[in-house]
Amino acid sequence: MNLPLLLSFTRQDLIDRYSGSILGGAWSFIMPLVNMLIFILVFSRIMGARLEALGQEFSEYSYSIYLVTGMLAWNAFANTVQRATNIYREKAGLIGKVKISLISLPFFILLTESVIYLISLIFFAIFLVLIDFPVDQYWLLIPVVFVIQQLFAYALGFMMAILNVFVHDTRELVTVIVQLWFWLTPIVYVTNILPDSVQKLFGFNPMYILVQAYRDLILYHRGPSLDGLFWVLMLGLIILGLALFLFKKLERDIRDFI
Amino acid sequence: MIKANNIHKRFKLYEKPSDRLREIIFRRPYHHLHNALSDVSFTVASGETLGILGKNGAGKSTLLKILTGVLLPDEGEIQISGKITGLLELGTGFDMELNGLKNIVTNGLLLGMLPDEISDKQESIVTFSELGDFIHEPLRTYSSGMVMRLAFAIAIHADPQCFVVDEALSVGDAHFQQKCMRRIRRFRDRGGSIIFVSHDLNAVKMLCDRAIVLDQGYVVAEGTPEDAVNHYNRIVADLEDRSLTLEENEMETFGTRQAEIVSSQLIGSKSRSNIVSSGETAKISLVVRANENLDHITVGMLIRDRFGQDIFGINSHYLDHSLFLKAGQKATVHFEIQMDLAPGKYTISVALHSEENHIENCYHWCDNALRFEIAGIADSIFAGVCRLHSKLTIEAPNIQSVIKEVG
Repeated sequence: MNLPLLLSFTRQDLIDRYSGSILGGAWSFIMPLVNMLIFILVFSRIMGARLEALGQEFSEYSYSIYLVTGMLAWNAFANTVQRATNIYREKAGLIGKVKISLISLPFFILLTESVIYLISLIFFAIFLVLIDFPVDQYWLLIPVVFVIQQLFAYALGFMMAILNVFVHDTRELVTVIVQLWFWLTPIVYVTNILPDSVQKLFGFNPMYILVQAYRDLILYHRGPSLDGLFWVLMLGLIILGLALFLFKKLERDIRDFI
Repeated sequence: MIKANNIHKRFKLYEKPSDRLREIIFRRPYHHLHNALSDVSFTVASGETLGILGKNGAGKSTLLKILTGVLLPDEGEIQISGKITGLLELGTGFDMELNGLKNIVTNGLLLGMLPDEISDKQESIVTFSELGDFIHEPLRTYSSGMVMRLAFAIAIHADPQCFVVDEALSVGDAHFQQKCMRRIRRFRDRGGSIIFVSHDLNAVKMLCDRAIVLDQGYVVAEGTPEDAVNHYNRIVADLEDRSLTLEENEMETFGTRQAEIVSSQLIGSKSRSNIVSSGETAKISLVVRANENLDHITVGMLIRDRFGQDIFGINSHYLDHSLFLKAGQKATVHFEIQMDLAPGKYTISVALHSEENHIENCYHWCDNALRFEIAGIADSIFAGVCRLHSKLTIEAPNIQSVIKEVG
């Protein structure tokens, strides 16, 4: 599949979907932004205060920054996986009619989610500048972490998309797992409210490693744990390898079933 | 050029898709096989048009999907020089909320065009589709004909090397269809290869250089369109026979039944079926049985077109034959008629009566007892409903009298 076609799909996803409405493509970004505002304004007061009472050190907006940093990354990840899972059935009409590469078809979801993430991040940066929170050179490493994260998300999504052709429950199952995963990852809460034994287990949660990496860069102004990122990268590549192996074996059947 | 080598395609039919995974895990089959295509091979040279005929379920769609790359064959390979576009994917990815221009871009990209190419051809696509200012309106405001016109215009501008055309060609009004045909011919003249799939036997004869017939996944005939159409007719004859007996109940019959038409049959001299070329001789055979002694039976038949219009009628009385039968005796009457009719579908009503016409003493009248179709014109082409015997003479300076006789 060629780049112009991918871009065209992305465009459909972000803008054309809202054609006919006055705000048009802006709707793609309104939801994430409203969420961000809620987190910043509401949760900074309520949750932040609670966490301080529990003995955590927080300035007025620290918790908001902590939360939004994790939340933006999580949303990009979760949406990519969930939407990729259903991609072959969503686009069944196209797949059954024109020759289209099934491997690269989910790429446009990566692109869409990346664009939403990028725009959200820009708004986030503006907010940080407004509250005099330093935005420094560590931000330049965000794309690296994001690429590792989306590679992992794509690998998972691709795998699930293949399964979803054969087992329609996959989509629902993925929704449930993603929801559980969200609460198993310290995004709205902080790790040190949990017992040490549990904290150790987080080391194996790729999303914890990624979220922590973003926080290192944005919140703590320091380099992330390279070991952790390397492990996530490897895990992503292994899943991708498995998915590709499965795909090669099943492509004929996938096309037959669709 | 399109080259298909020994294409095999089997569909594994599962009760539910998850059985495919069970199969991988438990390593035992959970499916039964359906042979969609078996050992299909053919070549379409540049500038050539190949027709594909076959009943529903013969494997035509599967073959087209394999050609366009939507499905993968189990065995065999397809070689295609350049891009292949199918008209099957007419309007793929159209978004009803977007205007025509935006849909040209999306659809064009799906057909493998590049953005520059699309903007270059945009104007010509709009002109071809004859949509005018409607091109700026959302597709949901279009009539279905307009949508198809736009879809066809884009497809035909995708400039493939190979084109797969199916029934979709019957898009729009006669004017637009002719325009499409002209365009397709031009495409072929420039060296494009065409695969044409249709149930319109006449169109197959007119357009194709060669044709193949698929039956249950096998290529059962390959040759001139004429031969292929005849072969195809023999395959569908089975089906037709069955459907005819069903319709017999609806057939209107009346008469005193002093004599009866026991059976009737129409066979083309070349096609050996009830689908004949214009100009071909068809033999209509009627088996007549008398139920009492009759010394003057007239056997007649009447050809009607699909509008029920009487086209041609003849009977044994006009042809100076008369038939007398004793009670219980049978006779077979053969009419041999050169079918100089325009392509289309016709019915034949047959009758037995005592005199010149059936108004007095009608023994047996069967409305629409036979059906036949004229597909393709064997001789020189003509316009209108039938061919009249014609002779052309030109007298002009420098030309010694040229005489052409037709009919």
